[in-house]
Amino acid sequence: MGRSDEELVEACQAGEASAFDVLVARWEDRIRGAAFRFLGSEEEARDVAQEAFLKAYRALDGFKGEARFSSWLYQIATNLCRDRLRRRKTRATVSLEALEETGPGMVEMRPGAHERLLERDLAQAVRRAIHALPEEQREVIILKEYQELTFLEIAQALDVPVSTVKTRLYRGLGQLRLRLEREGVRSAAPLPATAP
Amino acid sequence: MDCERVGDEGLRDGMMDVLYGEADAAVRACVEEHLAGCPACREEMARLRALRRDLAAWRLPVARPSFTPRGVVLPRWLAAAALLLLGFGATLGVTGYVSLRHALVAQEARASALERQHREAVQALAAARENRPVALDTAALLASLDARIDERLRANESRQGERLEQRLVDWEERAEAQRRVDMARVAASLSYLDGRHGQQLARTNELMGYVLEASQKR
Repeated sequence: MGRSDEELVEACQAGEASAFDVLVARWEDRIRGAAFRFLGSEEEARDVAQEAFLKAYRALDGFKGEARFSSWLYQIATNLCRDRLRRRKTRATVSLEALEETGPGMVEMRPGAHERLLERDLAQAVRRAIHALPEEQREVIILKEYQELTFLEIAQALDVPVSTVKTRLYRGLGQLRLRLEREGVRSAAPLPATAP
Repeated sequence: MDCERVGDEGLRDGMMDVLYGEADAAVRACVEEHLAGCPACREEMARLRALRRDLAAWRLPVARPSFTPRGVVLPRWLAAAALLLLGFGATLGVTGYVSLRHALVAQEARASALERQHREAVQALAAARENRPVALDTAALLASLDARIDERLRANESRQGERLEQRLVDWEERAEAQRRVDMARVAASLSYLDGRHGQQLARTNELMGYVLEASQKR
């Protein structure tokens, strides 16, 4: 059984630099994935992941373990993504919508062209709907739905109370459902109510 | 029909916990009890679950190498092309290696022969040096040679000087003799003219005076 994140952080703080390599290998894909969902660009996602680990490494001595390492890392990455989104809005050169449309490989290859097309349409509709959300709702939904963080981890990553996370999530889900229903997405239609 | 607990944040948080599998037993029991008696909330939970299924459709681009550094699956045609290219490259590499090897062997042989020739030449020079007679005192030899050269130069200069002086004496003697002959001829000519014209005599005498004067100056 490998060492936990916290043990690796302690080892790194004690001078074992190679321990940080293990942390990078463990979290790089997930951090990059989150950044991609926030930004819609693989290139930028790679940059953000790299920058996030660099920042984390430099600030590791100041990490007191009050939050989980992963939450701290997500916090750094989320802030970097926010910065980029703000700069993007300021420059107004690239829109998320434009980036969303450039992703032919966004859906896993599955047998059946028709099924694949439906999946692709649904995926694009979901992406559009998520990127149209307010930033605070989008962050919570991405971290919860795709990064599978717990409510507590999200609260630590975003530095907000757990109840705020749940409120943002609930509202975000409601917004998403409305947007997808408006686009005529299949499963967003209400199902027959059944007893739990 | 709306839920009578609309706006109940506790219930809403509990529903979120249940929806994402984070509810403890107490919260789960509380939410399920409410859902059992509230069609609106049952419908809401069903919609949220359906929505979560839709959200799962947005996947990361698994086909892109940047997100799949390990275990990338190549198309067959690409793999075949890569193998062909690899084979071609390997053939080129082997051929190149063999050619290079041959060239290196030939170059090495040439270098060895050249080295052998140089070594033999050096040995011959060393042997010649060993067989050479005892070295002379070059400084003394040079001094003696210089002295002989100086002596010869001095003798030569002396000889040349004597010859030059002798030539000058001879030339002066010849010049004096010639002057006397000329004077004699002039005197003979004057004596011939002496008997012919009295007026010409004074003229001739004057002329002779100039001639004598000029010849003495020379």
